[in-house]
Amino acid sequence: MCSTCENRGILGRLLATTVLALLCAGVQAAKVELDPSNWGDEAGKDCVSCHTKSSPGLAQQWLDSAHATAGVNCLDCHRAEASEPDAMEHEGQIIATIVSPKDCGRCHTKEFREQQGSVHAEAHAIIADREPALADNLTGSAMRAAGCDQCHGSVVEVKGDGTLDPDTWPNSGIGRINPDGSKGSCSSCHGRHKFSKAQSREPAACDRCHSGPDSPDKEIFEASKHGMLYAAQRTHMSLDAPIWVAGRDYTAAPTCVSCHMGAAGKLPATHDVGLRDAWSLNTPVSERQYLVVLDDGRKLELPASAEVPKRGSEIRKADGTLAKVKTVATPERRRQAMSLVCLECHSKTFTSSSMTQFDDVVELYNEKFGRPARDIMAELYRRGLLTPTPFDEPIEFTYWELWHDEGARARHGAAMASANHAFWEGMYLVGRNFYSRFLPEVLAVAGPEAQDILGRHVMSKPEHQWLRDPNRPNPILGFGAAQGGADD
Amino acid sequence: MLVALVVGGLGGVVFMTFLIDVDRFTSSNEFCTSCHSMTYADESYRRSTHFSSSSGVRASCGDCHVSEGVFAATWDHVLGTKDLLEQFFGPDYDDPAVNLLHLPEAAFAARQWLKDRDSATCKRCHELDAIQGKRANTAAIHCEETDGKSCIDCDYNLVHRHVPDQKTFKRDAWNRMVEKELGLEPGSAERILAGDYYESTRRRRSDSPSPFMGEGRGEGTIRGEATFHRRAWLASPHDR
Repeated sequence: MCSTCENRGILGRLLATTVLALLCAGVQAAKVELDPSNWGDEAGKDCVSCHTKSSPGLAQQWLDSAHATAGVNCLDCHRAEASEPDAMEHEGQIIATIVSPKDCGRCHTKEFREQQGSVHAEAHAIIADREPALADNLTGSAMRAAGCDQCHGSVVEVKGDGTLDPDTWPNSGIGRINPDGSKGSCSSCHGRHKFSKAQSREPAACDRCHSGPDSPDKEIFEASKHGMLYAAQRTHMSLDAPIWVAGRDYTAAPTCVSCHMGAAGKLPATHDVGLRDAWSLNTPVSERQYLVVLDDGRKLELPASAEVPKRGSEIRKADGTLAKVKTVATPERRRQAMSLVCLECHSKTFTSSSMTQFDDVVELYNEKFGRPARDIMAELYRRGLLTPTPFDEPIEFTYWELWHDEGARARHGAAMASANHAFWEGMYLVGRNFYSRFLPEVLAVAGPEAQDILGRHVMSKPEHQWLRDPNRPNPILGFGAAQGGADD
Repeated sequence: MLVALVVGGLGGVVFMTFLIDVDRFTSSNEFCTSCHSMTYADESYRRSTHFSSSSGVRASCGDCHVSEGVFAATWDHVLGTKDLLEQFFGPDYDDPAVNLLHLPEAAFAARQWLKDRDSATCKRCHELDAIQGKRANTAAIHCEETDGKSCIDCDYNLVHRHVPDQKTFKRDAWNRMVEKELGLEPGSAERILAGDYYESTRRRRSDSPSPFMGEGRGEGTIRGEATFHRRAWLASPHDR
């Protein structure tokens, strides 16, 4: 009986594998352009035999993966040339622990191309010069590995004895700088060793980093109508589908991936996660931004206030070298791309009006709080009223939280339609901070110079005129003329 | 005739006893670490499971690095005098920089020595029962994945400081690591290897007492002060 069961099991599995392989064939034709003769390294089969015993969890994840089904084994991804900095001998093979985006890109060429130069791949590079203020001064260097680098990625250091420096590895931060020079970590979102499509399409793939006080996208999504529908209808999302086009393969709800990366109608999927972002939202003042794609595959975000480079012209990159401009995507183009996703479920008017509501919040934040606060801080530094070292004066924390935490929450809340985050967790706190902490601290820091500074940056603006009239009661606090029952 | 036999027999017994005693003495940790250069290997050894194992068995230097049997052991010790000559007339292995810079070649040689003997000294303790342990999967690995393999093929870097396999070893990276760890000037590793001992001595004097104290992290970091006296072991025998 046992053997019958087993036979049926094997047959069933074989059938399932064949069906899956047939289904995948279409995907692979689209996704992996290489001939299958490029994988299935014979020597790699020995890895499996030992690892099912030495690390059965890891081996089972791989056995359950599409990689295993397609015949991609351990050595196909982990093999290395002896000359590579992190190469090591392991049971007779030369391998590397780290499988970098460049390694994945041997087969997943399109994804690698899109991912390199994306805001995800550059997540470490973007903050590298700012990191010391928080990681070395405010906290301590242990927090790089345990905190910052977990999301932003580490600069992986291979020690002279071939081992990976524990200060920089393990790490699966999305902007990791790998020993081979490539940037990023595919396993940041695609959990190893199953690399399940369904898993990476879940919001949880993003939550590890996009949660918490400064970027509560997890919380915002969960509190939004999109999140509500997703929670209720998750089983109808076809999360396992080989191809996942919004409006065609699923309609129940969107996840993070749907809007920021996923295919929708005629809009192709992309591994450049910031491609559809018309605004910069994690800056002291938001800017509409151009996406400049360079001929070497790198990308640059340029604020709309900067001069837009022409196609074919030369432009200086962040590292100082020059590159030719291949294409420029305007903020409007990027907004259009994002809107194409919306249009799979919403009307044009609904979509554009929702975008208007979002834009209005960003502009409100910019004009009323972000820009004045930034200009005031700049003036305090210029006048020598603050030391250049960040976070050695209380107002620097106040300003930091105003834009980096509360301001970001308000803007993200509006972008993804969570009323709570746009208002109570966001703009309400921005306002409270601005009026009850920031301005009093400016007064304290600037002393006799405060009146001039505040006069120009705050009191001259129509948004703050209400401060000039202290005699307008309102029942909000339980006092005031309109509230009959309250005592005053 | 009888007298000759008795004298010869007794002489043989005395000689064998002498050999056994000499082998035992020269295989002991105390003897090995009486050269300062060997105390670096001793340090990592003392942090390894071969020093403190769960079974309570402690492998001595000689258990792994000297063959079993009185004649083989004696022969190994005869060959070992090469190391003694090196200690006296070769590079100053007592110096931590010199020692660490030469460590990879020493490791490669030790691994090759074990491989040439089909890991015979490992098997003195690691009999089948001991290898297979209590975890079913570990036992299975040692039954099913070991065809054509010798212990040292898979199980290396167990006791002493981590040295990569020769196939992936990068001298340049190793030298830079040593310089960083011991606070040497970039490029000085090559000069030290080329025999410029003045280089390491000068560095040590200028940076005294010990620029490498507390440097680095984890296993195998060289700590402690090096003795300059080439013949320190003769002048004041080590207490270990």
